[in-house]
Amino acid sequence: MTSVASEPKEKEFRGHFSELLKVEGKLALREPTGIGVAIGAPIIFVVIFGLIGIASPGNVPNTNYTVLDLYVPVIMVIVFIFLGVAALPVTLVRYREMGWLRRVSVTPVPPLRLLAAQLVVYLALALAAVLIVIFGSELIFGAALDVGILYFVLSLVLSIAVIFSLGLVVAALAPSQSVTTALTGGLTFLMLFLSGLWIPPATVGGPLATIMYYSPAGAAVQALLNSAFNTAPPLTAILTMVAYTVVFALVAIRYFRWE
Amino acid sequence: MGLDPGSEGIVTVQHLVKKYGDFVAVNDVSFSIKQGEIFGIIGPNGAGKTTTVECISGLRTPDSGSISIHRLSPLKDRNKIREFLGVQLQESAMPPRLKVGEAVRLFASFYPSPVGADGLLETLGISNVKDSIYKKLSGGQKQRLSIALALIGNPKIAILDELTTGLDPEARRETWALIESIRDRGVTVILVTHFMDEAERLCDRLALINHGRLVVLDTPEAIATLAGGNRVRFVPSQPVDDKTLYAMPGVVGVERKERYITITGTGDLAASVINSLAKVGVHVSDIEARGGNLDDAFVKLTRDDTAGPSGGVQR
Repeated sequence: MTSVASEPKEKEFRGHFSELLKVEGKLALREPTGIGVAIGAPIIFVVIFGLIGIASPGNVPNTNYTVLDLYVPVIMVIVFIFLGVAALPVTLVRYREMGWLRRVSVTPVPPLRLLAAQLVVYLALALAAVLIVIFGSELIFGAALDVGILYFVLSLVLSIAVIFSLGLVVAALAPSQSVTTALTGGLTFLMLFLSGLWIPPATVGGPLATIMYYSPAGAAVQALLNSAFNTAPPLTAILTMVAYTVVFALVAIRYFRWE
Repeated sequence: MGLDPGSEGIVTVQHLVKKYGDFVAVNDVSFSIKQGEIFGIIGPNGAGKTTTVECISGLRTPDSGSISIHRLSPLKDRNKIREFLGVQLQESAMPPRLKVGEAVRLFASFYPSPVGADGLLETLGISNVKDSIYKKLSGGQKQRLSIALALIGNPKIAILDELTTGLDPEARRETWALIESIRDRGVTVILVTHFMDEAERLCDRLALINHGRLVVLDTPEAIATLAGGNRVRFVPSQPVDDKTLYAMPGVVGVERKERYITITGTGDLAASVINSLAKVGVHVSDIEARGGNLDDAFVKLTRDDTAGPSGGVQR
């Protein structure tokens, strides 16, 4: 920065990230799907699995958990998948296709800041969903969670990182908005299945269970389930998520295009 | 600004070459833009106009040649240049639910010393839609917003690419007046267009690009003259030979069709014809004069130019 500009203006100039956050936040709120997914989906799922838990009380056979206990991490991961795999790439590819990223790239602000602001907004939505799931299931349906903060934060960070970086891979590789929509649709469905939404891996058994455990969504559910009950997340789950995140991030960075 | 006006341009492009695979989009283009002028880049679709300004704005990396803006390089000093270069991109949309006021405030936060947002929207005539979202705007309002974002950073140079495409005639005229007011504030304007009336009306100098090459660089009037210049058609009261006609001041061509004679050339041809022929006792009737026209010049120069003069005509 040169000394030409006066000091308050310099300060305003540095304020561009908060301005970006404000704008991206408002846009997310105006986009009915973003807020609906982040706030609506966890509420609906907590109610559904809470009611199932009331209908069939007690622990699920062969586990020490109730139905709702088992599904608390699954619901969180589902919301991450909706936000990170289904919504984020579509927004980014649309920004690219309409020339918005390009438009920002001819200003003094690097367009990477726009992506960063976008990510922060999605992260905030993801955290709101996490809080809804934890407090909703505890306070309304009496789930006996025992969140081990350190374990939980570690599992949360890795879960969000692995799922969001998968979404960024789609944003980087998809040539157009229509391809993105198709890709994210398929991937969302696949990830929901691997998370154990329809059949938990313990019930599936065999090689398919192993595949689920070693998938991004399955590993995330394992880590979150353990840390929600103050148990150390399995090392395999942690390593699985780290490995996927590194690979996804490298691919996304290598292939991302601004136009 | 530490710039010697006249001796060196504010933007200098030298031997610019840009290829897309085997296709040479810009082929050895050189020009220099003076501070405070409206510099037009004209040419048919696909001629390389947009690629040229994209190289200037640092969006594309040239394959060879050099560009300097205020003695800075668009690639090496891109952050520095972006603080005083405002760009309006062809076919660039905004998030559909972004409000006009938000977009302008956001872009103002990107620059070290922006102009006031309210005043700019007022000048551009879109302060009444400040709270409207982008997708509800008309084509003209979207263009004005796009211009607003190019100017909000208080740029020294503004690049405007095809900015009146898709506007109705009235909106185009208003936009022209706006560009002139931008220039009057001391901003150097680089205007890409394929409308000849726009180029003729606004630009101080024009670079005509065809097939990636610079065909001619001159004032609109001088380029218009290249099409054969002014034209006068008349019927003489008695036969006149070519020698007499060519001897008249400014005449460069003579054509005959039935009883009509058409001469082409420069200057006030009609007066010249009447006066010169009166001296030799010839009267003229049915006289019809037409000025040189940039449209004609454009068609002629872009048609003739399949091979392209290698150096171009510089002034």
